[in-house]
Amino acid sequence: MMPIWTKSGEKHAVTLLKVQDCHVLRYVSKEESGGKTAKLLVGGKNVSPFSKPESAHEIFKEAGVPRKQKVTTFNVTDDAIIKPGTPLYAAHFRPGQFVDVTAKTIGKGFQGVVKRWGFKGQPASHGQTKTHRRPGAISTNKAAKVYRGKKMPGKMGNIYRTSFGLKVWRINTKHDIIYVNGSVPGHTNCLVKVRDSKLPTYKDCNKNPPFPTFFADGDEELPEDLFDEEIFQFRDPSVTFA
Amino acid sequence: RFLSPEFIPPRGRTDPLKYYIERKDMIQRRKVFNIPEFYVGHVLAVTTANPHASDKCSRFVGICIQRGGKGLGATFVLRNVIEDQGVEICYELYSPRIQAIEVLKLEKRLDENLMYLRDALPEYSTFDVNMKPVPRMDHEEIPVNKVQVRMKPKPWSKRWERPKYNIKGIKFELPEHKMQAAQKWSQPWLEFDMLREYDTSKIEKKIRKELSEELKK
Repeated sequence: MMPIWTKSGEKHAVTLLKVQDCHVLRYVSKEESGGKTAKLLVGGKNVSPFSKPESAHEIFKEAGVPRKQKVTTFNVTDDAIIKPGTPLYAAHFRPGQFVDVTAKTIGKGFQGVVKRWGFKGQPASHGQTKTHRRPGAISTNKAAKVYRGKKMPGKMGNIYRTSFGLKVWRINTKHDIIYVNGSVPGHTNCLVKVRDSKLPTYKDCNKNPPFPTFFADGDEELPEDLFDEEIFQFRDPSVTFA
Repeated sequence: RFLSPEFIPPRGRTDPLKYYIERKDMIQRRKVFNIPEFYVGHVLAVTTANPHASDKCSRFVGICIQRGGKGLGATFVLRNVIEDQGVEICYELYSPRIQAIEVLKLEKRLDENLMYLRDALPEYSTFDVNMKPVPRMDHEEIPVNKVQVRMKPKPWSKRWERPKYNIKGIKFELPEHKMQAAQKWSQPWLEFDMLREYDTSKIEKKIRKELSEELKK
């Protein structure tokens, strides 16, 4: 995470996400998948092929791509279908766009009720016998049972969570890095899924992104860094207020 | 030669690519805006852009008591006593609001962290706001000021006599038995702990080479 300054001198924290060897693996049509839209399977980071059996390598061999660590699905409209085997780059996104980021949160193991659900626990003194971080009562007398989903101690973290509506401030096309506003679930160097935002406020905020995706062998020559309009670029002189 | 401490990456599991990208931005900023070489103990004057001031810019003079943070978020804290009120301001080195940083007086102190000036007599933290920059003769040595600071009576904000702070710049006027009682908290095994060793010589060499190449362009 890094600080970023706007032209009016305000500071925002920014997370760097690297797009590492992403390829489209397979196209699943609407009828085949049984959902409302067609799906595209996309694979992330390259990994050695020797730790999985040959049967697991079929998808990757069809697309002509080394084995990937993670395979995710994206629901895609029919006009955005991409041929399996095309690489995906960070230039697929543009600064000023809004994005949802999904990842597995940091695993905390088996945790008690105070850390996991934020219960207050009991006081440290004034006669409490062996009860300082316990849940206390778990149900009422009339219910005569414990409801399903009762908040109790258990394994915390290591589940998929999404942060919605994060602004993309900057894109580095040379190293394929996306600068995304705010924090993102997951530990450093974990695998992350980046999608266009589904929030209704940002429905029309797409600012002409490359559609269906940015092709490296196309005609477009992008500069190494793409900045949002409000970012303070370090080439400019210091900010002054008129 | 001097390498600013915020260039050295901290020990951790982050990808070195992140530090490389950050360093490119820092070098970019240094090309446009001159950040002088300074240590803890120097007296600096900083002018920042302030939208609420009448002149739209404000100047603050103070002694640098601490340099923290790594990468673009590197900060330094300046302390001064203005009209009998101690004032500390924490500035970010790479913030675009800073218009100029001038070094008024060059001197190192015996410690890396001068936070104890908060509990010292105010005369050690007062610096004239309209001080003229002291001209520097040699381009090699930076003088070390071995002043032993006198403190206000206890209680202090931190127990500076304890060995964990390892302060050499205070004249402790405490009785002997208190100084020896403070040594109870010493941890003599810490200097031999190999897991805490962080050898930065190779990293520093690489970064110095990179810096000198980039700043010449």
